[in-house]
Amino acid sequence: MASVATPILEEYAGGTIARAQVGLWRDGFRRLRRNRLALAALVYLTALLLIAVVAVFWTPYNPATILPNTLTYLGPSAAHPLGTDDLGRDLLSRMMQGAQISLIVGVGTSAIVLTVGVVVGLIAGYFRGWIDNVISVFINIFYGIPGILVAIILYLVLGRGLGNIMIAISATAWMDMARLVRGQAFSIREREYIEAARASGARSGKILFGHILPNSLGPIIVQATFVIPIAILTEAFLSYLGLGIPSPLASWGSIASEGYAALPLEPYMMLWPAVALSVTLLAFNFLGDGLRDAFDPRQRR
Amino acid sequence: MLTRGTLIYIAQRLLLIVFTLIAVSFLVFITVHSLPGSAFESERVHGKALQLVLHQYGLDRPILVQYWSFLTNAIQGNLGVSFQIRGLPITPLVMRELSVSAELGGTALLITIGLGTTFGVLAAMRQNSWVDYTLTSIAVVGYSVPSFVLAGLGVLIFSYWLPTVTNGAISYPAIWTGTYGTLVELSLPAIILGFYTSGQVTRITRAAMLEVLQQDYIRTARAKGLKSRVVTVRHALRNALIPVISILGPLVISIITGSVIIENIFGIPGLGKEFVESILGADYNVTVAVFTVYALLIGIANLVVDLLYTVVDPRIRY
Amino acid sequence: MTNPILEVRNLSTHFFTDDGEVKAVRGVSFDVAPGETLGIVGESGCGKSVTAMSVLGLVQRPGKVVGGEIMFKGRDLLKVTREELRNIRGRDIAMIFQDPLSSLNPVLRVGYQIDEAMYAHDKIASGDVERRGIDLLKQVRVSDAERRINDFPHQFSGGMRQRAMIAMGLSNKPDLLIADEPTTALDVTVQAQILELLRDLNEQTGAAIILITHNLGVVAGLCKRVLVMYAGEIVEEGTVEQIFESPQHPYTWSLLRSVPRIDANRGHRLLSIEGLPPDLIDLPQGCKFNPRCPFRVERCFKESPPIEQVAPAQHAACWVTMARAYAEMGAGTITDTSPGAASGIHPAGRSRPPTEVAAAIAEPIGD
Repeated sequence: MASVATPILEEYAGGTIARAQVGLWRDGFRRLRRNRLALAALVYLTALLLIAVVAVFWTPYNPATILPNTLTYLGPSAAHPLGTDDLGRDLLSRMMQGAQISLIVGVGTSAIVLTVGVVVGLIAGYFRGWIDNVISVFINIFYGIPGILVAIILYLVLGRGLGNIMIAISATAWMDMARLVRGQAFSIREREYIEAARASGARSGKILFGHILPNSLGPIIVQATFVIPIAILTEAFLSYLGLGIPSPLASWGSIASEGYAALPLEPYMMLWPAVALSVTLLAFNFLGDGLRDAFDPRQRR
Repeated sequence: MLTRGTLIYIAQRLLLIVFTLIAVSFLVFITVHSLPGSAFESERVHGKALQLVLHQYGLDRPILVQYWSFLTNAIQGNLGVSFQIRGLPITPLVMRELSVSAELGGTALLITIGLGTTFGVLAAMRQNSWVDYTLTSIAVVGYSVPSFVLAGLGVLIFSYWLPTVTNGAISYPAIWTGTYGTLVELSLPAIILGFYTSGQVTRITRAAMLEVLQQDYIRTARAKGLKSRVVTVRHALRNALIPVISILGPLVISIITGSVIIENIFGIPGLGKEFVESILGADYNVTVAVFTVYALLIGIANLVVDLLYTVVDPRIRY
Repeated sequence: MTNPILEVRNLSTHFFTDDGEVKAVRGVSFDVAPGETLGIVGESGCGKSVTAMSVLGLVQRPGKVVGGEIMFKGRDLLKVTREELRNIRGRDIAMIFQDPLSSLNPVLRVGYQIDEAMYAHDKIASGDVERRGIDLLKQVRVSDAERRINDFPHQFSGGMRQRAMIAMGLSNKPDLLIADEPTTALDVTVQAQILELLRDLNEQTGAAIILITHNLGVVAGLCKRVLVMYAGEIVEEGTVEQIFESPQHPYTWSLLRSVPRIDANRGHRLLSIEGLPPDLIDLPQGCKFNPRCPFRVERCFKESPPIEQVAPAQHAACWVTMARAYAEMGAGTITDTSPGAASGIHPAGRSRPPTEVAAAIAEPIGD
């Protein structure tokens, strides 16, 4: 993190600003460590990640296989700790695969949003003029449109698949990030140290990625963290509506949907994805809150 | 206080809404028409007969011509006809569904604002106490627990576990029976929908209250010897409502998003259910119509919010 | 002196923060006579505002009055019920604040905010409130008061807002008006108008005024008596003439030397006070001014000086006092005001030279 402070240190002989910068990150991590909810969330999410990684190599049964000689809607048992579903598939295996899919969609979407949003936002905020106008008009038109509607249409146009679902969710989610980065670029651009850098002949690229980006990193990370639960939730919604991950792949949303239909027969089937989704989204939201409190000084009080 | 400036502002905003509607409907129109499959596939219409049907609906024309005729008709209030239910005019269909969705969404909005501001104020007044922690936790749970989870829980309780208690008055079949829409039946979906978004309102109200309570004018009000209830309500809450109003626009969007899910879960015949059904059934005219109506709703909601600002905050004039 | 209306004895207010207990006000005692104009001066953070807020019970968490008594009309304000205190606030003791823009509620009309103070206390008959609201605005010299009373604060200029604040403060005919930096946020010409207004109102209404400020010029323009605060304590007290003509505490002396004066003698050089006020969590031993005092002696590091009479009606808390400093240390001619410069006392390890401190701040901390 010292690299963030170094260029400023050179420009300010006094050094107090540099200390404030380094202090910001150090303070941030200290505050994060003190936030027990955020830490608990981090522990849970690490465990979930482990499960998802394990699921790549091993699940108790093949999650897609309709097991021979197995009853459907089976309650928890030694052979099937979470029971079986409407077709007699092992629910634990399907839940593990669901974790994998949720995390891939969440993190993948966040990565796309981060890349597109940061690049577009920086371009709009730094160069301004007609580029900014075009981008802003586009964002303003779509800003009010519920992302899920766009995602549904786009997903069906692109065709079903894990990659396309991430693209479909990103289609509107990047705009928030772009607005944030653009705003940051607008305000940071005006500060003295950018003037100084420009006066000393630094090129646009260096100013953008060497000064503006590092100085708005806090809010960007926070925003990127909050994209993850939104993406997971949207995927679950789509899968719940039967518009999501193609069967026989298991998503928490589709398991919940099947479980909803089976509610009078077997409440367990709805219970597992409900709990898993709720806790995971809660964890990401707590983590995001913790990060914001720790690293986004504008939001701090 | 409709000054000349305000009227000009409203006119400009309405113009912007129209422009947005054209842009959005155009993009959606182009996109849905590029979807694979057509509404008539399931009817096994082939060859000459298909050509005839396509011609009948004007679908054999160039896409831009099709859009132009959609647009000119839409301006006159005619949103075209459905493919699925052949020839059914869409405008009355959408209007009926809109009234159902509006009832659901309006109730949910009231619940959201009522619950959210109350929780937010209480949490802020008792900052860092158990009250605060409980209410803020409920808020985070509110927007972390997917609405279909709450819906499942609600249905499980009311339809399966308590049918004897309610004497079957509240039941949520997956398919509309035609008797839907009583206040009692609407209450569960509306509460679930409202609870989800109330978390955001709680958070922003709490944050705004905490910020406002730090302000110098609150100190002034206390120094005047006003009762603490008066300070809280008259001086703090009125100012704290300003940021709350700013999220009303996003709130309407959240509720529309949520209603798409909720309507499909509970089988409520509103716009959200229609949207999903139309896109699955390749009934493109309906998809475009519903999408455009949503965009219009949001545009109007945002305009109303901007005008509400001027009521609550005298510093804002257009 | 007639019976004082306000007697503050040994007031201590601390703030319980995560970093430690900030001892913002420690053992402050003073009196205010009816109709008197008392100035409290000191640098920001010296506890003058906290003292005023403590009097009205407006100190917010994590702050807390930890000791002392505040006698007002025979009652200890630290012991009365919340409801009784609420009734005194704005009715018997009114307060106006530094920033008139942020001190008025932006969403309520100015007139409403003035009237509200009167409705809250039933001292003014409710039928007279609106009439009096307009009269008050006229009294504080807001022109076109009948119309402006319906304006919102943002439609007022800075000076007018402060006038409205004063009108609000005077609305219930209080016995005491506490003005916390009332002119700091205003233009110089407006400052003078507000001070003149306060002076006139003091004469007309007979309300005593406590004026809290860091600006010595403001004190000279309004007050008869002055308290000088440093690091949460009163270090000197006297009439305005005594404080300006023969200050006895080195801090008061330094303060006066640091402001340009039009009546200054030739050769009266402008000197700054070196160093920073002490950390109120971890206070220095002995006199709290010793780390910055040019005249400190060994005793200053060991014992805290009590406030003692140095002249009729003048008190100072100093082991040396300026009388001795002039006589023995040549205070009249010194140009170096660094700590211990005049007395030659530089105890090893007690304070680092400024350059070293600056270097410590500049030192980047690795992550």
